[in-house]
Amino acid sequence: MAFVISTNAPGDPVERLSKSASKEGAANEQSAATKKVKQDIRKRLGLDLPIFYVSLAAYADCDTLHKIDDKAQQENLLKLTRKYGNWQAVSRYYHALNTLSEEHNILDIEKIYMDNSAISYKTIGEGDTARIDTIINATYSKNEINDAKNNSSFDVLSLLESYNEPVIESKIASLEKIYREYKFLKPLADRFTVVKASFIDLKQNATPWKTYIPKLIFHWENQYANWLFGSKKRGTKGVLRGDFGTSYIDNQPVSDKIWQKFKVSFIFIFFSIILAYLISIPIGIYAAYKKDSAFDRGSSILLFIFYSMPSFFIGTLLLYTFANPDMLVWFPESGWQDPSIYNEDWGLFKSMAHHWPYMILPLFTYTYSSFAFLSRIMRVGMVDVMGQDFIRTARAKGLNEKKVVLKHALRNSLLPIITVFANIFPVAIGGSVIIEVIFTLPGMGLETFNAILNYDYPMIVAIFTISGFLTVIGYLIADILYAVVDPRISYS
Amino acid sequence: MGEKLNIKNTASEKKDFSFKAYAWKQFKKNKSAIFSFYILVFLVFIAISAHFVANDQPLYAKYRGNSYYPAFETYFSPTKTDSTINPETGNWEKLQFDITDWKQLKLESVVWAPIPYSPSKPDRFNREYVSPNALQYYKNPDGKRVQAPTKFRHHMGTDAIGRDVLSGLIHGTKISLTVGIISMGIAALIGIFLGAIAGFYGDTNLVWSRFRYYLTILGVVLGFFYGFIARNIAISEGFNESIGSGLLQLAISLIVFIGVAVLLNYIGKVKAPGFLGKSKKIPIDSIISRGIEILNSMPRLLLIITISAIMKERSLIMLMVIIGITSWTGIARFTRAEFLKIRELEYLQAAKALGYSSNRTIFKHALPNGLAPVFVSIAFGIASAILIESGLSFLGIGVPDDAVTWGSLLSLGRQQFEAWWLVMYPGAAIFITITVYNLIGEGLRDALDPKLKQ
Repeated sequence: MAFVISTNAPGDPVERLSKSASKEGAANEQSAATKKVKQDIRKRLGLDLPIFYVSLAAYADCDTLHKIDDKAQQENLLKLTRKYGNWQAVSRYYHALNTLSEEHNILDIEKIYMDNSAISYKTIGEGDTARIDTIINATYSKNEINDAKNNSSFDVLSLLESYNEPVIESKIASLEKIYREYKFLKPLADRFTVVKASFIDLKQNATPWKTYIPKLIFHWENQYANWLFGSKKRGTKGVLRGDFGTSYIDNQPVSDKIWQKFKVSFIFIFFSIILAYLISIPIGIYAAYKKDSAFDRGSSILLFIFYSMPSFFIGTLLLYTFANPDMLVWFPESGWQDPSIYNEDWGLFKSMAHHWPYMILPLFTYTYSSFAFLSRIMRVGMVDVMGQDFIRTARAKGLNEKKVVLKHALRNSLLPIITVFANIFPVAIGGSVIIEVIFTLPGMGLETFNAILNYDYPMIVAIFTISGFLTVIGYLIADILYAVVDPRISYS
Repeated sequence: MGEKLNIKNTASEKKDFSFKAYAWKQFKKNKSAIFSFYILVFLVFIAISAHFVANDQPLYAKYRGNSYYPAFETYFSPTKTDSTINPETGNWEKLQFDITDWKQLKLESVVWAPIPYSPSKPDRFNREYVSPNALQYYKNPDGKRVQAPTKFRHHMGTDAIGRDVLSGLIHGTKISLTVGIISMGIAALIGIFLGAIAGFYGDTNLVWSRFRYYLTILGVVLGFFYGFIARNIAISEGFNESIGSGLLQLAISLIVFIGVAVLLNYIGKVKAPGFLGKSKKIPIDSIISRGIEILNSMPRLLLIITISAIMKERSLIMLMVIIGITSWTGIARFTRAEFLKIRELEYLQAAKALGYSSNRTIFKHALPNGLAPVFVSIAFGIASAILIESGLSFLGIGVPDDAVTWGSLLSLGRQQFEAWWLVMYPGAAIFITITVYNLIGEGLRDALDPKLKQ
């Protein structure tokens, strides 16, 4: 699932990485050096491979499309193939276009300039001042040549990314005009005739029916396998062995970055769930025991209000009340530690003592909603059990109330509250995004938020995978707790 | 009098007992639920009439001798334009209703909307977080800056660029309610269908010939090919054009997919000889239940955040669809449990004995009986959908930047601590709406499930 998301993410990771690797060069500049860098990154990320073991494609599709470097060109080629249904012809057209575009890079402006000026040089030329004469008598100025070249190069580049027939034809016509006007672009014009011929060939040999026949393609080496199991060639270990790739932001391994964040989030989720259970069970018991009393009514209204309060509202209100210079300044406003005092070498207790003021407000925000939910469930479960025959029997036996409630009723009413443990866990993980953003805690939630703002997909995928894993662990713990509480349940 | 009525009621109930009437009576007994229901009706009314309740174009205006109904006319064509003759110069002047500053015109007579501000238009005289109680300014038609009269005060303050918070809240109601209803509508469609099939057939009751089974698998693959792979260019082009046409293309693809799969399934009814003719049980319940478990194993909020983060374009419709397709599991589970109960009842056995088709039995006989708990789940689902939408707009993920929603207003309050009105009012609006839906959900549960009532 996470993998599907990562491959469908918009934008080209190669573009992003190559930009963060070398912070220079406009997007359109396709010098040989940047191309090389991009190819290396593609190789490293394994993007030159097909996505999955099996792919379902149209019969007309080319099965080596994923080898094209540029993602936009890749998409465009797919569109062309789908339109004309003849990938051999499309590939001839594409290669012709590519050679034409490369020809632009090796075009020597200086030489053209000299060649064109040479004519006037010969007609006037006598003696040493010939060079100056040539400049005056040049047929085309350097700027003109450059302009012509740029125009043609622009048209060719846009041809590489257009698939609409009228657009292509108009571009071809405009290129023809350029070449007719500027004879010195002869080498380009030669290549261009090939392009034009191949496009006409493409139009004539279109076989659209082929796009309606499905075919299955198998790939043994693919991105999914590399992502999951790693690949020896690239030196990656794969998600199964804890390697989530590198972050797009700073090129650091994601697994190193995420571990610190994970610890912070986990502390909060762990403590909040424990706290929620510790508070809600007694409240639920007491409310059920004194059913319909003032306490029961009052607490259920209060809990209902808590339950319906959005966490971002509570969090902002708490900040507004307790960390606001205009109101009360009991707690720090944001963060997790004071960088001016905090020392990495402190022991557990000292660092805990340092952290606790930062933890109170977020911990409350983490806890309150699940605690309200749990208390309500506990109460319902307890009311249910208290009405049953075995409780009446226990009372008839003359057991004291304490024993009846805490020993006989409690254990039986714990089952529903354990059932929801598996539900609370994912809610807490998802809720961490909002809470950590409000309190700027450096945990997984804030990291998710930043990763989304920066389109850092490996990070998002890593967090997503880890939280899915945690949820499954939550289910497992709930299952084990069932068996502990209710001996009738066994998993053998 | 009251007693008489009661006797009448019980008498008529005995004659014609209907579950709906009974449930409605039970629901009405629950005071908080019925009160919430009235609040919800009020909210719906606000949402529907938002354009006329909070609008900077007057409902009626008389200008240079002509009568206009700007708010009504822009409701049908947002860029409605008219022109008038300037009596001083004698020239025609254009009057585009939605960008004209009506407050600056010398109107002969005017009826303003109750809140004379639009949610996204800044008031340049009350910028920089003006408190509801603070001095507010207003430029009258004579061009003088005066203290705002009560009519033109911002009763809930303004934000950094001078947008009216109350107007934003009123238009936000529309967004929140539609998000809740549409996303849960999608979720209910998926959830009820899958849950009904899973519960009705179970693992053993759906028996096809092998031929039909294999042909259906082929149909799903082929349907996927024709629906999504052969059409992926049409879909991506649609999304490039606009969200609406993209969704339309997606819907066409979905229809193609389902159509091909169903067609091949029907062809499979043909009797096949030998190996292919043998019957095979389809474990449809296991398949759907595993699907629910897989979807449940992902934290829902994180899933929605992630999906909406990779969307190229942010839009509310997309958000509704995303929330809808990720939150059907609860509904499916309830429907399935209900169907497991119902299918053993005598009247369904009778339907089977009479030779009714499975489709007819499921949708005509079993479904109306199994919907009650689903309503409860939908009511709670709407509450959580609204919560998710406001949470996302609070974070600024997946919601377009220019959309004024409750969550986005609240997040503005976070940037400026003094602006308590930006936190309190939207927060209260979200809280009230969610409470209302939760209370209705509880009331429905009590009313529809008489066993729970002690």
